[in-house]
Amino acid sequence: MPTRDAVIELLREVPDPEMPISIVDLGIVERVEIDDTNVTVDILPTFVGCPALAMIQDDIIKKLRTLDDVDDIIVNFMYEPAWSVDRISAAGRESLREHGVTVPQGGSDIHSMIKQTATVPLRTSAIPCPFCESKSTRLDSAFGPTRCRMIYYCEACRNSFEHMKRV
Amino acid sequence: MSMFRDAVSMTALATVTKTALLELLLSVADDKLMLGHRNSDWTGLGPILEEDIAFSSLAQDEIAHAQALYELAATVDEHQRSADALAFARSPGEYRCAQIVELQDEFNWATALARQLFCDHFDHLRLGRLSESSFTPLAQLAKRLGAEEQVHVEHSDAWVMRLGRGDAESNARMQAALDALAPQAVMLFEPVQHIDTLVREGLYPVAGDMFEQWKQEITSVCTAGTLHVELAPPDPTVLGGRQGAHTSELTELLDEMCAVYRLEPDAKW
Repeated sequence: MPTRDAVIELLREVPDPEMPISIVDLGIVERVEIDDTNVTVDILPTFVGCPALAMIQDDIIKKLRTLDDVDDIIVNFMYEPAWSVDRISAAGRESLREHGVTVPQGGSDIHSMIKQTATVPLRTSAIPCPFCESKSTRLDSAFGPTRCRMIYYCEACRNSFEHMKRV
Repeated sequence: MSMFRDAVSMTALATVTKTALLELLLSVADDKLMLGHRNSDWTGLGPILEEDIAFSSLAQDEIAHAQALYELAATVDEHQRSADALAFARSPGEYRCAQIVELQDEFNWATALARQLFCDHFDHLRLGRLSESSFTPLAQLAKRLGAEEQVHVEHSDAWVMRLGRGDAESNARMQAALDALAPQAVMLFEPVQHIDTLVREGLYPVAGDMFEQWKQEITSVCTAGTLHVELAPPDPTVLGGRQGAHTSELTELLDEMCAVYRLEPDAKW
């Protein structure tokens, strides 16, 4: 019978298919249950119907198959509790930052920024650039390479970077 | 990959409740599926790269939301249709979307944005109501969808204001699009069938005057964009999409959208 720790350690080796972060650091692993030789993993999708879910499911099953004495591996997806960017670990935030993706700070509220849209240009932000830490950054587009990310631009070092949507 | 395998014991719901719930879920899902399809028309044709990506992302979001709602709808369907069958195998008169989401924008950027403004604010308010639903799986899902929909609202607001405050031409085009779509937009509020049951059982709880709230939100965006809009509650004698009355454009849309599905309805993907 596999131990819970052994399962978690293996899940740490399963990366998100679209970002340089493990699914454990991303905070989407809600629960691991071991019943004799059967393992159940509950996953919280970041976004409803995220197209990476099927791949994550396959990757988890493949990875846990490497354990000895495992029969059934079940991966469930659920919306309750809701995933939030606040579930991303400190190590996960650092790994994302190194790759140019910033994460909203705990308790920050995107809505307060949005209400500035009455002016043109649309909005500025206080989100520090992951490369040079300047706060002279602005939202370029609320839609980016995946459904969970937006595109920002740093006026100081003239780099684009990505910022995760606050959900 | 169903999210609702062991959500609740659906059999516990009375038939009359299931029928009402299905009407409600289909109206939300159909709005999202058709709007998502119309959004995807802009893929490759957006006026700037960011908006090409934005409309493609809006499409991805709306269709993903619709999929989750159809999966939930399938669990209360007395005819036990699958989510795919609910999405693709109904006749046009069985769809419950408002007509505004089925009409083509004819690649008029202002029309596309006016439609987003009206629909996104409506959808966001509706999801707020649904997140208080007595039907727990729906409440949980709506809460998640509402957080995602917030970004759509911001996107629409920003662009309507931007065009309104741009120059005389962009203002005139945005104003014309708002004027042309306003009569269709208010039909989003046409009550779904069995609305009394839905409200009474707390499935779609009333939280203030949703129409007034919507009107206020739209008006405040328009005012900030030096635009104006006239919105009156829908005429209850006019039959619209919630009752299955649709334009020929829905039939054309379905013919295109369902072409592959109809080749092999039982295919497993």
